[in-house]
Amino acid sequence: QDVWRYAHEEFEDDVQDVFAYKFKEYVEDNSDHTVQVFRFGELGESDDIMEQTQAGILQFVNQSPGFTGSLIPEAQIFFIPYLLPTDEETVIDFFNNSVAINEMFPEMYSEQGLELLQMYPEGEMVITTDEVVRSPEDMRGKNIRTMTNPLLSETYRAFGASPTPLPWGEVYGGLQTGIIDGQENPIFWIESGGLYEVSPNLLFTGHGWFTTALMANQDFYDGLSSDDQQLVQDATEFAYDYIIDHISGLADDMLEAILERSDDVTVTRLDEDEIQAFRERAPQVEERFLEMTGDRGAELLEQFKADLEAVSN
Amino acid sequence: MSDSPTQEHRSSLPGILGHIDNFLAKAESLILALGVLLMALNTVANVVSRFTLGESLHFSEEVNRILIVMITFAGIGYAARHGRHIRMSAIYDALPYSARRVLMIIIAAITGTIMFLLCYWSIGYVHGNLRTGRVLPTLGYPIWFIYIWVPIGLAVTGIQYWMTAIKNITTRDGEIYLSTAVTDGYDEEEEMLAELQDELAEKQDKPGTRSQQEKD
Amino acid sequence: MATIMIVTMIGLLLLGFPMMIPLTVAAIIGFYMTFNGFGQMGTMIQQMMGGIRPTALIAVPMFILAADIMTRGQSAQRLINMVMAFIGHIKGGLAVSTAASCTLFGAVSGSTQATVVAIGSPLRPRMLKAGYKDPFSLALIINASDIAFLIPPSIGMIIYGVISGTSIRELFIAGIGPGILILFLFSLYCIAYAYINKVPTEPKATWGERGQSIVQALWPLGFPVLIVGGIYGGIFSPTEAAAACVLYALILEFGVFRSLNTRDIYKIAKSTGLITAVVFILVAVGTGFSWIISFARIPQTMLEAIGIMDMGPNGVLITIAIAFFIACMFVDPIVVILVLTPIFAPAIQASGLDPVLVGVMITLQVAIGSATPPFGCDIFTAIAVFKRPYWEVIKGTPPFVFLLLLSAGLLVVFPQIALFLPELAFR
Ligand code: NA
Ligand code: NA
Repeated sequence: QDVWRYAHEEFEDDVQDVFAYKFKEYVEDNSDHTVQVFRFGELGESDDIMEQTQAGILQFVNQSPGFTGSLIPEAQIFFIPYLLPTDEETVIDFFNNSVAINEMFPEMYSEQGLELLQMYPEGEMVITTDEVVRSPEDMRGKNIRTMTNPLLSETYRAFGASPTPLPWGEVYGGLQTGIIDGQENPIFWIESGGLYEVSPNLLFTGHGWFTTALMANQDFYDGLSSDDQQLVQDATEFAYDYIIDHISGLADDMLEAILERSDDVTVTRLDEDEIQAFRERAPQVEERFLEMTGDRGAELLEQFKADLEAVSN
Repeated sequence: MSDSPTQEHRSSLPGILGHIDNFLAKAESLILALGVLLMALNTVANVVSRFTLGESLHFSEEVNRILIVMITFAGIGYAARHGRHIRMSAIYDALPYSARRVLMIIIAAITGTIMFLLCYWSIGYVHGNLRTGRVLPTLGYPIWFIYIWVPIGLAVTGIQYWMTAIKNITTRDGEIYLSTAVTDGYDEEEEMLAELQDELAEKQDKPGTRSQQEKD
Repeated sequence: MATIMIVTMIGLLLLGFPMMIPLTVAAIIGFYMTFNGFGQMGTMIQQMMGGIRPTALIAVPMFILAADIMTRGQSAQRLINMVMAFIGHIKGGLAVSTAASCTLFGAVSGSTQATVVAIGSPLRPRMLKAGYKDPFSLALIINASDIAFLIPPSIGMIIYGVISGTSIRELFIAGIGPGILILFLFSLYCIAYAYINKVPTEPKATWGERGQSIVQALWPLGFPVLIVGGIYGGIFSPTEAAAACVLYALILEFGVFRSLNTRDIYKIAKSTGLITAVVFILVAVGTGFSWIISFARIPQTMLEAIGIMDMGPNGVLITIAIAFFIACMFVDPIVVILVLTPIFAPAIQASGLDPVLVGVMITLQVAIGSATPPFGCDIFTAIAVFKRPYWEVIKGTPPFVFLLLLSAGLLVVFPQIALFLPELAFR
């Protein structure tokens, strides 16, 4: 008979929203509790809903680790390019088995009063540009919009581009007028934001996956009966299993929808040699990450690489 | 669009309080003016850097965020001091003098109290930010630091409104005070508009030369 | 809870409290009732900070500053003199030009508040001088600025497009028809007003005088070039264009015309800061207010109560229009779009309405709402900038609001006004 409030950072039918509604469905089918889902903007932006969860007003929050950087700097590790596997199957393997994700991160979140329930991938990052790009040389001089984050900026600097921070509301207009020449986002955002209309050259570099995380207020979670804790865990697993299925078809469907609607769109998938040209530039971002996070970051990075090794073989 | 009615703020408070008040008034206007000019400079610098160096100033957005909080919360105190907060006064204006005076005392006292409440809650909020250690992603500054203006501005505004209430209680000169320095009524603005129109008429006659009225 | 909040708010408002108080007290009541005490007031402060966080808001003080410098110097006069040399002899010409300037400037700058200041500051004195009444001039400036919401690029349409998964490109094109329709209706009203009130015209200028006025305006003509060329040429974002205008205005008035000195600049900057603060504090507390409304799920409860799912397409469209209109009377337009759009999504889908049409209707209502009493950002901005009493600023709005509502009605009956262009272009 309790109302549990759950906020995330995306809009209707986006990956986080689908996850939230699956969670809600399971909880409501298997208990007397109800779950109220709040989408982006309804209770503020990403940082706001995180604070509200820490304050205990919200019980659940879905925030991408990249945005958690101001609270847990190590969480920005997901911005290091080519740290996650490039193909989908290995990525899912990685999320299921990684020690870093399933053991180290929960500890860090718990220091901030958060019970980390699940980290999950939303989709591969895709770069869109005004011209077809295949190499770091092609990237030279291009203003690529990034979120305001030092590691993302470093990534695009490493790739040869000029990282240009721009608030989200100005991205579409900025691409249209040419103040920026490109941007990066998972494909479903490129579709729903109509970004392909104004930035039609899609580039799959395999450099990263947009990752996100569901967490609960820790005092709330600790105060639940063991049955209810189990319910939360089961609901999370139910939603996670569904979402893994959901995203595997999603990228292709979205790409198909985009190609159907626009004749200007080009799709470039880099081959292994071309990827190598970008991958060679990744260490400079790693260095920046280590600079920002010190020993704990180093330990996490090492574990990440070991986990990656484990699933790749 | 001109300056506040009182060009130089002169505190009506006695002794050392008056000096503090005058100092605060100066500090507020300095923060307002510099804040706005820095914002322009910062934004233009970002464009210039993008074109000449091919690299945006990554701290630019965060600097503007700091400035906007500073301007807003220094500005509400300044606006209270000069009676410039927006209000819908149609019914109030229609009331007789004594009723308006009582109403103004109530309005000022309640407004002052609400400002103090918000100030108290904002201290709690700033303290919470201090505890979680949240930082601005690029500049690396702690976030509580940019919000430090919030409780200060709210407190100054609350004090201004309470002083207005007291001024209206203690003064019986047939005037109603919107703030410690500004009396009710829009006559001054009317005059200023007339002045502005004269000025315009003059400028029109000799567009190339500098109008005589506008000296230093 | 909603009733107590609204009644308190309107009561305090009418008594003449500073505008931030009714909103704040209503929000405090909402928090108190929702959380059984004052334990969560930190979130009210957090949302106030969130309200003034968006980077795009920076354009507002920047355009205010640029406009103030231009108006107190000579740039604005020279530009207006040039326009007057061409249209001064036409009945209602100045009012129509003001409306058109607001539309154009708003379209490009993307900020209706900035438009109120940038076009209003120089043109309002000129309109008064030409014999237009102040309430008419103020209402014209406020309402014409809002046409900007409909003309691309429109931040409201972008946000609606993303939330609802509607093509932003189609939305942009669909907004043009209604935008022009409203400008046309406003212009008719301006001309009618000029005839009815016998607003005098100026003698027709000779071509020599016109040439002279263009020469005089050469430097200030850099402003439209900077804004339009800069933004569409991909050099600036709208916010940056605003800051660039400040720089250019400083160079002109300080260096070229030598009409202002350092002391003037300091005073102008201070006045800009003051206006920014009194408007932004309202945006801030308004965001706190809307948070508690959203948290308590008040809009959902209301829509369920009126049975939105069983209405036909026109019923849904009209309900949307009314809901957005009312919400925008109290809350910032962007926040309204973010909160209400998803709530209406199921009803829109069920009714089979064209999402592009819905988007245009929402944008139109948002535009009307921000110029409508009691709470409207553009009204606040006009009060703060022109220092006129609240009543005088809103006194002249009813005919304009009527024309805007008429346009909304026309849109329900003839959706082609919006859909004609996108159908021509894409379907
Ligand atoms: Na626009
Ligand atoms: Na309004």
